[in-house]
Amino acid sequence: MAPLDFEQLYDEHAQAVFAFLLNFTRHEADTRDLLQEVFVKLARRPELLDGVRDERAFLLRLAHNLAIDLIRRRGTQDKRHEQLAAETLPVFAPAAGPDEGAFRQALGTALGELPSEQCAVVHLKLWEGLTFEQISELLGIPLNTAASRYRYGIDKLRERLRPLYDEIR
Amino acid sequence: MKPDDFEKHLQRQPLRQVPAEWRDGVLSAARQATRPQPVPRIARDGLWAVFSTLNSQLSTLLWPHPAAWAGLAAAWVVILGLSFTTGDAARHVARRGSSPSPQVFMAFQEQQRLLNELVGPREIPAAERPKAAPPRPRSERRSGLMMA
Repeated sequence: MAPLDFEQLYDEHAQAVFAFLLNFTRHEADTRDLLQEVFVKLARRPELLDGVRDERAFLLRLAHNLAIDLIRRRGTQDKRHEQLAAETLPVFAPAAGPDEGAFRQALGTALGELPSEQCAVVHLKLWEGLTFEQISELLGIPLNTAASRYRYGIDKLRERLRPLYDEIR
Repeated sequence: MKPDDFEKHLQRQPLRQVPAEWRDGVLSAARQATRPQPVPRIARDGLWAVFSTLNSQLSTLLWPHPAAWAGLAAAWVVILGLSFTTGDAARHVARRGSSPSPQVFMAFQEQQRLLNELVGPREIPAAERPKAAPPRPRSERRSGLMMA
């Protein structure tokens, strides 16, 4: 078995894992710790990647499981909204225009107000382009659950962002 | 399910980039993790973990009333101490009583012989003598008297 090339793995997938973790945890330090934990875990057990067809999906699943463990350990699931209210963590890249900037900020806030399980599905569907089947495998949930969580999440975002969206459209 | 315009608009929003300065830290931590850990530390940590678990379990068990548990333990210590002390004394006495010395035995026989000489052979009291005939019912005795 060839030794694992961590640099290549990082360069190819760290951005996706980072964005997913940041959207899920809403905490920059936690995101960094979890991203590091993903790569440390793979370094300790490189055989985990044996036979894996989609490395990114595997890394995202690992990151999701570690994030869930962290939240359970800390019991901060309910504090997520308080944390969001206290700090406006930028999830999206800065925008050129003020309207688009306001929309991105509102979108980040609205995503943070979604339940974490809906937020995860919306993120994976919209910004990773995964199918519901892939999402259900990645998160370990039934296909219908993945689809319904996406639908509920999108409906909430639509309702919340409608005024801003109508302005910039 | 095809995305509508709103979903397409969301998809076009670019996500924040991972900070470039994180790369070295994450990769060096991963490289560090590939090195084997020294065995004694693992063994020591394992032993420590066992003691830590035991301690936490005991703490959980005794937490509600630690003073009461301590009092109960002290009472048991006193009871066990008393038991050992009195048990030893009883065993000592029993050991002494079970093996009389020959002098004591001879003195006892001498006393018994003197007693026999003074009192004489023991007679069986009348009350202890066996009855000649078994007792009959009272009705039979009465009819026997009337006939006489």
